[in-house]
Amino acid sequence: MSTHQKYTSENDAKHDENRNKGPSRWSSCRKRGADGSLRRSHPNEEENKDQRCSQRPESFTTPESEGPVSRVKNWGDEVEAEEMRSNVHRDMHRYRRRILASDFPQRDRKISSGSSDSRDSKDSPAKGDIETDETTLLRRQKQIIYGKNTLAYDRYIKEVPKHMRESGVHPRTPNKFKKYSRRSWDQQIKLWRVSLHAWDPPAEEGSELQQIEEIDLGEIMDFDFDVECSADTETASHYPVSNGASLSLQEDSFTGTPKKMMKTEDAEMA
Amino acid sequence: MENSSKDDYKIQSFDIETQTLLKTALNDPGSVDLEKVCSVIVEQSLKDQIFSREAGRICYSIVQTEAKQTNGSSFRRHLLTRLQQEFIAREETRRRSTQQWVCLVSFICNIFDYLKVNNMPMVALVQPVYDCLFRLAQPDALKNEEELHRIGDQLEKMNMQRMDEMFYLLRDGFLLQEDLSSMGRLLLLEILEFRAGGWILSDTAQKYYYSEVTD
Repeated sequence: MSTHQKYTSENDAKHDENRNKGPSRWSSCRKRGADGSLRRSHPNEEENKDQRCSQRPESFTTPESEGPVSRVKNWGDEVEAEEMRSNVHRDMHRYRRRILASDFPQRDRKISSGSSDSRDSKDSPAKGDIETDETTLLRRQKQIIYGKNTLAYDRYIKEVPKHMRESGVHPRTPNKFKKYSRRSWDQQIKLWRVSLHAWDPPAEEGSELQQIEEIDLGEIMDFDFDVECSADTETASHYPVSNGASLSLQEDSFTGTPKKMMKTEDAEMA
Repeated sequence: MENSSKDDYKIQSFDIETQTLLKTALNDPGSVDLEKVCSVIVEQSLKDQIFSREAGRICYSIVQTEAKQTNGSSFRRHLLTRLQQEFIAREETRRRSTQQWVCLVSFICNIFDYLKVNNMPMVALVQPVYDCLFRLAQPDALKNEEELHRIGDQLEKMNMQRMDEMFYLLRDGFLLQEDLSSMGRLLLLEILEFRAGGWILSDTAQKYYYSEVTD
């Protein structure tokens, strides 16, 4: 059972030790007992009351709010998470149907190797063999969303409709329903995101967004915007990429590494 | 065409400038300051009884249009954030003005009714709506008939299906929640019965619940 306790700064060091033990000389300073209920101000049973504590001014104690503070996210976040969850489930049902449908050879729709469809016979998983773990799917979906929330992606999909896409040339969103190891998946996402950069909007003077993305790739740039960049290169590389300049950079699992990784990958891919 | 859409959403109570803002938001959400739009709607809902029961539709419409237009959900986010702030401050609001409290509850219920996520109600709001009803079931609120009748009636006029769903959830809560204190269970039972009785507390029920319940 989680405890909802608020501690004065003095008690922080003792926090873990004393959480589940009975009254100690520290516990009289606490507003709440281990079960979360408010303590009365002068418990008779606590013999070892530290005199100092009871005279502490109100301001020492963290201001009380409505009650035990649970880790309630704001409603905006919660609803977005709900939406993502139900989208993932809907996607899964659709995907399952597609997989099953592709098992029937009499279908009119052509299944060509050139299509970006994950129904390709060499690619499509056996019927039972799709990723169904919700945590994994949600994590993958979040990574995909970060990639799709970029200007580059918007420009990409406008420029190249799905049926025109060629494998190997045009980036393909990794299929979250296929079984992959964590490392493999993360790498696919990284490569996908890198390849999407080819559709980044053209650099403009004073476009902070663009600057950070270009620096991110670790490329040596031909400067149109000399002065700004040279100053920025130093500072930008010290900060984790997720400083809010663009949605595409708000990632958790690999904020620092990509810069270094991309350099070598670029060299390899070149 | 323009006039009918104004009437549809009952926005006549706003001044002309605001009406224009709202109409633009309904057609082209990407072009307006959605936080301001949200602010305007919430404030009016807290003042205007009638509007608090209509606002859900406008909000839903804006959310849908924004999703289609920009694939974004910033209006919904602003709305929920603001709603949450109001919800957190609800006790204060109730003390200050019963009228505002009544508006707040109708508004929250209205939003819960209309704003669906993939055609499902927002689970995050179930508990808050439930809390508001709980609050209504408390002795001091029950004595205030105005509070009760108004909200009770309004809630019922809302989508009946939604209400039923919510009450199933409440009932399941009653049956399934083991750690619900006996006080909690009592209050839950009370709400269920209360609703079954058309939001009027029968004498028997009154005796049952109020002879023993202390503040």
